[in-house]
Amino acid sequence: MEPNDKETTQLSLTDRFRRSWFPPAAVVGALGAFVAAALRVRPAVKASARPAESAATPNPAAQAAGSAPPVQGLVRTYAQSGALGGATSAHPFRRSLAGVAVGPNDMIYALGDDEMRVFDSTGNPIRTWRVPEKAECFSVGPDQHVYVGAAGRVEIFEATGSHVGGFAAGEKNRPAGITAIKVFQKDILVADAAARIIRRYDANGKQLGIIGNKSKAGSFILPNKSLDIDIDTKGVIRATDTGRHQVTSWAIDGSPLGSFGKFGMSDPADFVGCCNPVNLALAPDGTIVTGEKMVARIKVYQADGKLLAVIGPEHFDPNCIHIYIAVDSKGRILAADPERREVKIFSLVAKAGTAERKTEEPEST
Amino acid sequence: MSEQSTRRQFIDRSCRILGFAAIGGTAGLLTHRASGDAVYQVDPFKCTACDLCRTSCVLSHSAVKAVNDFDKCGYCMLCPAYFDVTSRPDEKGIPAGKVCPQDALKRRVVGKVDEEDPNNNYYEYIIDETRCDGCGKCVKACKPPAGNGSLRLEIRYARCLECNECSIQIACPDRAIVRLSTPGMAPKEHVVESKNV
Repeated sequence: MEPNDKETTQLSLTDRFRRSWFPPAAVVGALGAFVAAALRVRPAVKASARPAESAATPNPAAQAAGSAPPVQGLVRTYAQSGALGGATSAHPFRRSLAGVAVGPNDMIYALGDDEMRVFDSTGNPIRTWRVPEKAECFSVGPDQHVYVGAAGRVEIFEATGSHVGGFAAGEKNRPAGITAIKVFQKDILVADAAARIIRRYDANGKQLGIIGNKSKAGSFILPNKSLDIDIDTKGVIRATDTGRHQVTSWAIDGSPLGSFGKFGMSDPADFVGCCNPVNLALAPDGTIVTGEKMVARIKVYQADGKLLAVIGPEHFDPNCIHIYIAVDSKGRILAADPERREVKIFSLVAKAGTAERKTEEPEST
Repeated sequence: MSEQSTRRQFIDRSCRILGFAAIGGTAGLLTHRASGDAVYQVDPFKCTACDLCRTSCVLSHSAVKAVNDFDKCGYCMLCPAYFDVTSRPDEKGIPAGKVCPQDALKRRVVGKVDEEDPNNNYYEYIIDETRCDGCGKCVKACKPPAGNGSLRLEIRYARCLECNECSIQIACPDRAIVRLSTPGMAPKEHVVESKNV
């Protein structure tokens, strides 16, 4: 063995380590990493740096309109009398809430979490079944079948949840953007927001006609890409024309029957923002219930457009871009707030000119 | 003895490799940071259009501009980002005021034109970047639920000086200015002057 080798082998591991070039290299590397990390770390921003107008006030126009004082001189007053599916409920919607409808015997149907949930009129759960993913809307027909709109198709379910059929809506290469479905006798009305018209089908999916194209513009004006419809027992269709800020009326054959509504930020009878009303439903007494975004509220109109009641934005999440509405046989308004994932039930408590005044305690299910 | 020597040699080599890796990694990180393949950009999901992009950029006319995503845009007649909907309406019921203080948001009718009833028309909204100062008022007004959220703020690469430390990034309270890797992006020509020179 050579002397040098002997010396090397007699060195302790610690000495060997100290004599090697690794320690300075490691120090240089660590310093470099520290400098690089420091360059990537941004200095903390003081809270005072944020301007007064920020995320806390998402839209100045919405704030201005939403802070308006309560509307005076209305004919009807509604109060919340119940709620379904909220965060504190025994049956909360955890991911989504995409619609509400009323079925026979005032049974309440709610679409959320890719499920159809059925409740009795007092809010007790009856049954639940799975629906297609990304289902956007639904309706309960007089035959108790449930019609669900999803990905350009109408899927038909029995009241028990069994799938009994379905059909593709829209054109061959242009599927419908289904945002509402309503059933009148044996006809199925499909609101096609992609084509900005209402399509009328029979139960087999054969298109019988188009509604909404016999206007000057040739279609609905839908900046928010959403069209909502309802139909009364006489076959008069009401549809939202959000770009024109109107509720329009149509015969089942597609003839226009009239409209009401206009843009306005101060008169509560007007519709605010770019595109309202976003949702509507018809009540058994012939009144029209509308849902608005930007100022999340519900309004009740006579058929001629006279404003009867306002259910104010204090009841809804300000970020709602939809308030899905249904009205039961007693005139209770069911409003689904998709942001809070809760169905609120509003009951008529007072009518001007009548001595009757009911009070109901809110109940949560 | 030879076995012990082999172990020490192994430790020696391992230490050297680790040292090289540390130095190389650091150098690579710094080189990547200094290279032109990464740019600053606004994360639209974090941005609250707070107006600091307008005032914090080192340029006299901020490199941040509003842009419109036409796929999302509703082509509204009463665009809440164009009209100040809270302003007094004119005789036709259209708000008289505009949101943009620089009048940088322009519009034109697209498709079939109805001269009599503007409610039957669709409007395309375009930003005049020579006027836009990145204040974000239109972006805020277009956010849902009022609008569709088609307007957003964007750092325009042709204007950005790519400072070593972006002053807007430092000022942004929402940490919405992010560093994006853009390998292969062509070199650009700056088109603006600096406030500090």
